[in-house]
Amino acid sequence: MSENPLLAPIHGISLEDYSAACAKMGSGLSEEQVASALGVELPVWQEVNLLWPERMKQDETYHIITLFGQYFGQADQHPKFSNLQPTLSAEGADNTARIKTDKAFYAELEVARQVAYDYGQDGAQWILDNYGIPLGDFQVAASNWNEQIHRDIEADFEGYNAQQAAYRAKYEKFFAAAQGGNVADDIEF
Amino acid sequence: MFGFGRKYDNPALIAEINETQQRWFAFLDKLEARVGEMCAAAIPELKTVFAQDKDPYKRAHGHLLSGLQGQLSLIRTKANDAREEKINGLIYAAEGVIPPITSAEGSKYHQLLHTFRMACFNRHHIFEEKLHVAMEKLQAAAGERDLETAYREQLEAFEAIKDKFNCQQCGGNITIPKMFFIATYVSCPFCQTQNTFLPSTGAQMVLHDARALAEQRTAHLRQLAERTQPRNPDLHRQYYRAMINEWNKIVPDMAGENEKFYERLLKDIGHY
Amino acid sequence: MSDEEKKRAQSYLEKLKQTALQQQHYGGEIKQTPASMDARDCPNCGAGRAFRHGLTSCAYCGFVFMDTTLTDGIYIKKENNSK
Repeated sequence: MSENPLLAPIHGISLEDYSAACAKMGSGLSEEQVASALGVELPVWQEVNLLWPERMKQDETYHIITLFGQYFGQADQHPKFSNLQPTLSAEGADNTARIKTDKAFYAELEVARQVAYDYGQDGAQWILDNYGIPLGDFQVAASNWNEQIHRDIEADFEGYNAQQAAYRAKYEKFFAAAQGGNVADDIEF
Repeated sequence: MFGFGRKYDNPALIAEINETQQRWFAFLDKLEARVGEMCAAAIPELKTVFAQDKDPYKRAHGHLLSGLQGQLSLIRTKANDAREEKINGLIYAAEGVIPPITSAEGSKYHQLLHTFRMACFNRHHIFEEKLHVAMEKLQAAAGERDLETAYREQLEAFEAIKDKFNCQQCGGNITIPKMFFIATYVSCPFCQTQNTFLPSTGAQMVLHDARALAEQRTAHLRQLAERTQPRNPDLHRQYYRAMINEWNKIVPDMAGENEKFYERLLKDIGHY
Repeated sequence: MSDEEKKRAQSYLEKLKQTALQQQHYGGEIKQTPASMDARDCPNCGAGRAFRHGLTSCAYCGFVFMDTTLTDGIYIKKENNSK
């Protein structure tokens, strides 16, 4: 382990603990639930939740934030949260598991989420409503697929772009229909 | 094809170039008019929704704005696609049929194509700038959150409640010694029991918005630093110093952490 | 600008506004809760928790309130670890 003082636990809560806690809060656990899973009371948790981001702000090497992303992606394996899962529908639980194992499923929904925002929808809520996947789990999947997707882009830039464009076109059509079309649909060259 | 000794002449191509240019200009005129129409209608709505949005993060306004920006970017893509297909498409096709630039006839047609390309691209550039202005107008329509008033209201609210708590163990009166922004332990002066004080949602938001408020208070210094050419690191340092000072005034208990962040900011501007 | 064209921008805006205003935001509405005070007695022996005895365990029966090591934070300091 490194001797980096910025990585020392805060009130006994390590960066691994903190990252997993953030992922779990993103998936619907309350501050009280997270504090109790970490074995601390709310005032201790709130200081931790204030001071870890301060460490990230102070670290010009971006090392802490990189580690945070890695640990965030491993939140499901964190022993302190293994008995504490937010309640999901059966379909939601299936989709939540699938987005972490099926790269194409993740890639398509990531585009759908962005296009939802472009049409004034709350994209995170849209994913939850339609697929039952909480934002925290979506971000865990994003963090885990990130590296693989970078490799895909390097290997086949055009193929990747074409796939993204196809997803985008599909969801633009979908959301535009729900809004009664786009503002400039009738203007042609 | 053209035979020997015959002058190259392609009136159909000239007509197509002229027609394409006219269509392109008319197409962008129409898109610009629609953008103007959408912004004119949207700006008062953005203001109203922002003013009426009770959500501390103004999410309804945020989604409305995002839905408008989404349309602007679709319109941008529409123009880019047409430029690629119709303008560049015609240029590539024409370059394939006209004589080489080194011949007298070829030179005339290449010149025509060049003029066409420049006129179309310049028009597109103007369109892009107008879209950019429209984007900025939408973003700025609602103005900034009035964080100063929200902050003052929270200070007053705290003054009004700070003496109204009792020890959960002995019932003795506890005065909250200062304004807290996160949950914290407070000792009972009578029985020494550690009570937990949880600030109101509004007080917690003060901490959340403290940097934004400090930035609002020092915006004139940031603008000066950003607009001064050539870049002057001293002005950036002065801005950061003033911003951090304001931040510390709003949430004094964060001063220690804010000062460490200030060191980081100095390193980033190469002034350390 | 024809009426037809005006309608297009207007109708998009109207529907968009409905979406923005009526949809549920992720995480729901932010509830405005007033400030509150709470205290935790030892669930094992019922004793209150006094400042001088630290925060992490009960001074009387040793019950562990928090299984952690406090460091120097904002309000909570190393000295708040129970001895």
